[in-house]
Amino acid sequence: MIKLNIQKTLTAASGKMNLHVKTTIEKYSLVTLYGKSGAGKTSCLRIIAGLLTPDSGSIEVDGKLWTHIDNNINLPPQKRNIGFVFQDYALFPNMTVAENLRFALNKNQDKKIIHELIEIFELGDLQFKKPETLSGGQKQRVALARSLVQKPSILMLDEPLSALDYEIRHKLQHYILQVHKEYKLTTILISHDISEILRMSDKVIELNQGKVVKQGTPDTVFNYKEFSGNIQLTGIVIAIQKQDFLYILTLQIGKDIVKVVANENEGENLFIGDTVILASQAFNPVIHKIG
Amino acid sequence: MNILKGKIENINSNHQLSIIYINVNNNRLTAIIIDTPKTSKYFKRGKEVQVIFKETEVIIGKGISHQISMQNKIEGTIKSINCGDLLCKITLKTAVGDIVSIITSNAVKQLGLEKNTLVTAMIKTNEIMLSE
Repeated sequence: MIKLNIQKTLTAASGKMNLHVKTTIEKYSLVTLYGKSGAGKTSCLRIIAGLLTPDSGSIEVDGKLWTHIDNNINLPPQKRNIGFVFQDYALFPNMTVAENLRFALNKNQDKKIIHELIEIFELGDLQFKKPETLSGGQKQRVALARSLVQKPSILMLDEPLSALDYEIRHKLQHYILQVHKEYKLTTILISHDISEILRMSDKVIELNQGKVVKQGTPDTVFNYKEFSGNIQLTGIVIAIQKQDFLYILTLQIGKDIVKVVANENEGENLFIGDTVILASQAFNPVIHKIG
Repeated sequence: MNILKGKIENINSNHQLSIIYINVNNNRLTAIIIDTPKTSKYFKRGKEVQVIFKETEVIIGKGISHQISMQNKIEGTIKSINCGDLLCKITLKTAVGDIVSIITSNAVKQLGLEKNTLVTAMIKTNEIMLSE
């Protein structure tokens, strides 16, 4: 378990911000940090990773103090056993995929892990290629594999999927969940995508202006609701048109665009960019085979 | 959305499907779902649920006696009618609370619906969703 109680004054574009995060993260859980840009999510990750030193507070991991500012304890990043993946893949361009992975090995570490990761992430066909010849999704698979070479106990993912299109995202979410379970990781993810968070996380910590404003299971944080309709999708409102007492909403659901009619009091409370649940009875849609 | 609060009175399941009988202020409503008490712990007798249906799925019949396959019939009087060019929004006062229906303006004219008309709101069993 990670016990976190940290404070740091950050200088953001809008001025000084006091980051104060107090929370606990269960061992082997997948936790998402959620919030607007500039809320302090990345700084929080960097502090846990030891890349940034808090002004005060402590970080305790499985009973061991990683940071305790009052007692002058602050372990360097390499002693924290953390894997890190960023939105940009940060691969070495002059090395092949396999070389990128091997470069992350510790001295005297068994090379078996490289084969294992190549297997899990299905990199066999790509292992002798240079990163520049790979697609975004492939590069991120390599970056994920590389972050696990040293067998970390904590995996940190800073919006790793936000530059990728929907199908590739789905595939990578699957890889992440697979290694999260297989390597018994405690995973901390930063994400803006509510459907991704609902699918993946055990817990959500919502930050705003450096403070924890909500935390709990994704259902409670996002006011998720289950309908008996059997068809339940999450989408984003991309257009709102009013006609008489009706609203015609255009929603993006995955890569599809759908239009839905909503009544006045539902439509009045919606804004472009809102995430919504679309629910329908299983009896209503018609099916037409196209492939 | 029309949202009514009720309690599950009975469940009739067969293979994948269940018909759920809900008591809403002593009116019996029915919903059909692809779930059974085995596949969802959430459908149990006595459980409080929200009964949800869309305004555009509420059929209006004039008067109170209709020989019709519709299982969910709720009597009420028209509280207000608000018409656009094509559609009208009708709010009914009923024993289970206010119910809103959206039907065509033509239908309102044909039936001669106006404030205080006695009507029956009807909703097909498969248009009703349940939620906690």
